[in-house]
Amino acid sequence: MIWAKEETLSRREIEEIQLAKLKATVARVYEKVPAYRAKMDEIGMKPEHVQSLADLKKLPFTVKKDFRDNYPFGLFAVPKEELVRIHASSGTTGKPTVVGYTRNDMKMWTENVTRIAVMGGATEKDVAQICFGYGMFTGALGLHFGLENLGATVCPTSSGNTQKQLMYMKDFGTTLLVATPSYALHIGEVAKEMGIDPKKDLKVKIGLFGGEGMTEPMRQEMYKLWGEDMKVTQNYGMSELIGPGVSGECLELCGMHVNEDHFIPEIIDPVTGEVLPPGEKGELVITCLSKEALPVIRYRTKDISRLMYEPCKCGRTTVRMENLSGRSDDMLIIRGVNVFPTQIEEVLLGVPEIGPHYEIIVDRKNHLDTMEIKVEFTDDTLLDSYAKLGALEKSIKSRLKVVLGLDAAIKLVAPRSLQRFEGKAKRVTDLRNM
Amino acid sequence: MLKQISVFVENEVGSLGRVTGVLRREGINLRAIASYDTPEFGILRMVVDAPEQCKEVLTREGFVVKISEVLAVELVDRPGELDRVLHVIADAELTVNYIYSFVIRNEKSPLMVMHLDDMEKADRILKESGIAVID
Repeated sequence: MIWAKEETLSRREIEEIQLAKLKATVARVYEKVPAYRAKMDEIGMKPEHVQSLADLKKLPFTVKKDFRDNYPFGLFAVPKEELVRIHASSGTTGKPTVVGYTRNDMKMWTENVTRIAVMGGATEKDVAQICFGYGMFTGALGLHFGLENLGATVCPTSSGNTQKQLMYMKDFGTTLLVATPSYALHIGEVAKEMGIDPKKDLKVKIGLFGGEGMTEPMRQEMYKLWGEDMKVTQNYGMSELIGPGVSGECLELCGMHVNEDHFIPEIIDPVTGEVLPPGEKGELVITCLSKEALPVIRYRTKDISRLMYEPCKCGRTTVRMENLSGRSDDMLIIRGVNVFPTQIEEVLLGVPEIGPHYEIIVDRKNHLDTMEIKVEFTDDTLLDSYAKLGALEKSIKSRLKVVLGLDAAIKLVAPRSLQRFEGKAKRVTDLRNM
Repeated sequence: MLKQISVFVENEVGSLGRVTGVLRREGINLRAIASYDTPEFGILRMVVDAPEQCKEVLTREGFVVKISEVLAVELVDRPGELDRVLHVIADAELTVNYIYSFVIRNEKSPLMVMHLDDMEKADRILKESGIAVID
C-alpha cells in the first residue's frame, strides 16, 4: 500500500512542487531569519535569484554549528507563541540542537511518518510498541504520532526495562516493533534468556528501525532472532530536518524513499562542497521545503549515501537514498587510512562464531595508532582447543585486513559482556585525543 | 568415557569465581578442574557430577559451554604409575592434548583426566594394556 499520491508523481510534477516550495521557503527565511539573510547577503544572493532547482546549489549550507550559535530559537521563522512542540537533540557534544513545530508542521511531520510506516508494511491493524526513549528526542513521538495517524494501536513503552517490554509484547500481542536496530537485537537476546522464542512465542512481524543505521548483516541477524518472515525496514531522519519521516525503506529493500514533496536531497563532496552527479557517493544534504517554524536550507547531514532516481518496483517514484555507509564525522583516520566503523561492522557480522556486538578502541602507543576490537565469542564448538580459538582470532584479523588494509588486534570476550545500548550505540572509543 | 565441561573465561579478576559461584548455587559438585595461564582468555575444563545440568545452568548465565569426552584413567598411588600410562600412549603414537587430575576421591585411587588426538584408539590401547579406564 502507498499512503500518499505525492509518492507516485512524475519527476516533472515532483520538481514543480519542489521549485514552488523552494522559492517560498528561501523568501521566507531571508525575511524572517537574520542568520540566513546574513549568509545570503555575504555572497550577494537574493531570494529572487532562485529561479530553478539548479539554483539550489548556489545557496549556502546550514550546519550543526548554526543551530548551536543560534541556541535556542535563533533560527526559528515564527514567533515562539506559534510553536506547539519543542524537541532537542541529545547534545552529547556542546549545547543541544533545539527544534520547534507549528501546528501545520506537526501535521506535515505526522503525515510523513505515516507514509514511512506504510512503506515498512504497517497497517491500521498493527499493535505498535515504541521502544525509542520518549522525551526531547524526536524519534519516539514522531513514530508515535505517525502510527496513531495510520490507526495502529500505539504502546509507548519507551526504552529500557527490557523484561517488561517483553511482557507487554507477549500480553498485548505486539505486531510491530519500533526501536534502534541494536536495541531490537538486544530485546531478542533477552527474550531468549527468559525462555521466550521471539519467532514462536511473540507476534512481532514488522520492525521499523531507526535512530542509527542498520547494516545488511544486522538485518540478517534480525531475521535470525525475530523470524525470516519479519518485515525489517529502516527509516531516516534527524531532528534538525524534522525527526523521523525524511525517508524510509519500502519492502523492496532497495534504499530509502525520500518524501520529495517536503525534502530535497543532494549529494556533495564532503571536502569541496561541490554537488555530485546522481548515483555518486558523498555527503547527504537536505533542504526542508514545508516547515514553518524552522525552515532549513541545505543542511549538511554528515551522513554518507548516494541517490537513485530509477523508479522502484513498489510503485513509488520518489528518489531513493542508499542505506548510509557511515558518517563523515565517524570516520576514523588510523595510520593515515580512512576507516568507517560500518566497514568493521560488516566484516564482524559476517563471522558466525561471534555475536553481533562489538567495541572498537583506538589508541596511540609509541606514536603509532593502534586499533583493538572486542567481540563476543559465542561458538561452543571451538572450545576443544586454544588452537581453534587462536585460529578464529587470526581469521577475523585477516578478513579485516582485506577490507581496511590495516591490522587490528582482536580480543574475544565472554558473551553479553559488552555494553548494550538502548539508544544510539557507541561502539568507538578513541583514546588518542584524551 | 567421561563427560568434560569446557567453559570460555576471560582472563580477568573474578572470572573463575563466577563459574564456581554458579556451580555452588546449583549444588553441582566438582570432580576435577584445570585451567592454564594464558594472556587474554582461557578455557576452563571441569569434570562435575551433573554435566548436562552444569552446561544448562552455565549457558543460561551467559557462558559459552561445551561438553566433550575425556578419558579417566585410574592409577595406583605409587611412583612411576603415570609414567607407565604415558609410555603406553606414546608407544601407540598417540598425542596427549592435555592432562589433569581429580581432586580428593575419598580413599579411592587417583584418577587422571586426559584428552588425546584419537580418543577411541587411546581408550582401546589403555584397556588392552591393563590400565583401568573409567567408563
